[in-house]
Amino acid sequence: MIISLNDVNKTYPGAVPLHVLKGINLGIEKGELVSIMGASGSGKSTLLNILGILDNYDTGEYRLDGLLIKNLSENHAAELRNKMIGFVFQSFNLISYKNALENVALPLFYQGVSRKKRNRLAMEQLERMGLADRAHHMPGELSGGQKQRVAIARSLITNPTIILADEPTGALDSKTSKEVMEVFRQLNRDGMTVVIVTHDPGVAAATDRVIRIEDGLIVPAKPQINV
Amino acid sequence: MFDLFREISQTLRNNRLRTFLTGIAVAWGIFMLIVLLGMARGVLNSFESMSWSQTSNRITVYPGNTSMEYKGYREGRPLSPEMSDVDLLYEKNPDNVGDVMPSASLSSTVFSTSKDYLTAGPSGVYPKARTINDVDMKYGRFINDADILDKRKSIVLEEKDAALLFGDASTAVGQRLDGLGLSWLVVGIYASDWRNDVYIPFTTAKMLSGNDSKVNNLQVEIKNVQTIGDGEKVEEALRGTLAKAHDYDPQDKSALYMFNRFTNYLQSLTAFNILNVSVWVIGIFTLLSGIIGVSNIMFVSVRERTHEIGIRRAIGAKPRAILTQIILESVSITFLFGYIGVFFGMCVTQLIAHFTAQTEFLKNPTVSLQIALEVTIVLIVAGALAGLFPALKATKVKPVEALRDE
Repeated sequence: MIISLNDVNKTYPGAVPLHVLKGINLGIEKGELVSIMGASGSGKSTLLNILGILDNYDTGEYRLDGLLIKNLSENHAAELRNKMIGFVFQSFNLISYKNALENVALPLFYQGVSRKKRNRLAMEQLERMGLADRAHHMPGELSGGQKQRVAIARSLITNPTIILADEPTGALDSKTSKEVMEVFRQLNRDGMTVVIVTHDPGVAAATDRVIRIEDGLIVPAKPQINV
Repeated sequence: MFDLFREISQTLRNNRLRTFLTGIAVAWGIFMLIVLLGMARGVLNSFESMSWSQTSNRITVYPGNTSMEYKGYREGRPLSPEMSDVDLLYEKNPDNVGDVMPSASLSSTVFSTSKDYLTAGPSGVYPKARTINDVDMKYGRFINDADILDKRKSIVLEEKDAALLFGDASTAVGQRLDGLGLSWLVVGIYASDWRNDVYIPFTTAKMLSGNDSKVNNLQVEIKNVQTIGDGEKVEEALRGTLAKAHDYDPQDKSALYMFNRFTNYLQSLTAFNILNVSVWVIGIFTLLSGIIGVSNIMFVSVRERTHEIGIRRAIGAKPRAILTQIILESVSITFLFGYIGVFFGMCVTQLIAHFTAQTEFLKNPTVSLQIALEVTIVLIVAGALAGLFPALKATKVKPVEALRDE
C-alpha cells in the first residue's frame, strides 16, 4: 500500500468551524492510476493537499510508502515533497522568467544537485515528453499542452514515489486533454503511481479506478472500468 | 553557492528597472557618505598638518595695555613681558611650567644682496625655537648656542626668500647679506608653505634693540594639563604671577595678552569631532533612506512573487532556502549599487582633492581604504537588515494559499 489514510479528519477553524474531511479511509496500491472525483466543496482539494503534504490534518493517520506523515516540521515536509511527490497543477505553475529546461531542473536545485547534472537530467525528462526542441523556450512561448508536459517533466525529475495531479486538464481543450491523459497513462504503464484529482468524468473515465468523495466522505467503491 | 548567485541574478534581471531605481537610492546614500567623509577628512588633515597642533601645550604672552585701573594706576598703561619673567614664571608655577622662551622681534628692515632685497622684521630667538615653531631645516643649521653666546650675526632664511636673494636657495648657506647696517652670515635655510620669518640669535637682537629688559613675547611650555579646564587654570595662574610682577589687576586680560594654544587646540579638536560625528550621522541617515527603499521594494517583490514562492515551496524549497534567497537578493542590490556609489564618491573626492590642492583648509580630502572597508561592512549589514523582514514574510507564505488559482 503506497498511500493509506485511516480515519483522517480535517476541520478549518473559524467563526463557524468547517469540518471538511469527516473520516477518510483510503488505500492506493503501488502502480495504480486512480482519480479522485467530487463536486466543488466536497473536500477533494483538501484531500489532495494532505496527500501532497502541503497541509496538515487533525486526527487519523496518513502513511506514504509506510512513512507516517503527521505534524511534520516545515523543513521535513519540504524535503519529503521534494523527494517523494511530483505535483502537476491545473494552471501549470511554471516560473515565468525561467525557460523550460530551468523549470524542469528547479526541484534538483533544492537538492543541491550541480547545474550540469541538473540540466542533463532535465533534458532527459524533456526528451521523454517530446519537448527537447522547446528546452530553451520561455513558458510564455509554449502552448497549454506543452506547458503541462513541461510541468509533468518537472514532477518526474526527482523520481518521486507518486504523481499528484490537480485538475491537470482543467485549462486545456479536449484534444490536448486527451494527449495529456495519454502521457499519464504511459507513465503509469512505466510503473508510476498516479493520483489525479478532477471533476471531469471524462478524465476520471480514463483512469483505472475512481474514488468519489462527497461532503467530506469517500463514497463506497463502485469499480468502474472503461476502455 | 555559485548556483544561488545565478538564481539571484536571474530574478534581479527579471525586474531590471525596479532593481535599478532601488539601487540608485542606495548608491546616492553611499555617494553622499563618501563625499562628506572625504571633506571631513580633508579638514582634519589640514588641521593636523598645521604645526601648532604638534606644539599645542603652549601659552604665548604678548605685550598689551591695561584695561582696568589698579593700585592708583590708570587704565591704558602699556606693558611688555620682560626677561625677568622667564625665571619668575617657572619658579612660581613649577608644576605646570616647563620651558619659557623669550623672543625679540626687531622692526621691519631691509635685507639686501647684490642681486635683490627683501623687507622683514627679524625675530631674535633661542635654538629651542626650532622645535617650538616646528622649523623644517632644508640646508645648513638653525641658530645654535654659540650664536647666542657670541651674539653672532647669523641668519636663517626661508627657502623662497633665499632663492630671491641668492638665485638658488641651495647655494645660499655660507654667503653674506646686508641689513641693519651689518653684514650677516646665512647659516641655514628652512622650508615652509605659510611662514617666512627671518631668524637671528636672541642675544644679537637684544643688542641691536638697545639691550633693555623687554621682550616681544614669551613662549611658555605648559605641562600636566589634560582638559580645557586645566589649560584655563594654568592661564589664570600665569596671569596671577605676571600681574603681581607688573602691578596690574589679575582679572585684566588685556594687560599682557595671552594666547592659549592648548585650550584653543582642544576646542578645535572638539569642534572637529563634532564635525566628524555629524558627517557620519548625516551620511548614515541618507543611506538609511536608501536602505528603507530597498526594504520596501523587497516587500513589494515578495508580495508580487507570492505565487512563485508557493511553487518553489511546493516542489521542495525549505523555508530557509527562501529566506536566504530574499536576503541575498537584498544584499546583492545594496552591495552592487553601494559600490557604484563608493566608486563615484571616490572619483568626486579625488576631483575635489585635485582642484583644492592649493588651498590650506582642505588637505587631501579623500577617504582611506579603512573607511571603504567600514562602508563595505555597513553595506552588507544594511542589505541583510533590509532583506530580513521581507524574507521572514516570504517564509510565511503557505504553499496551499499561494497556489490557489487566482
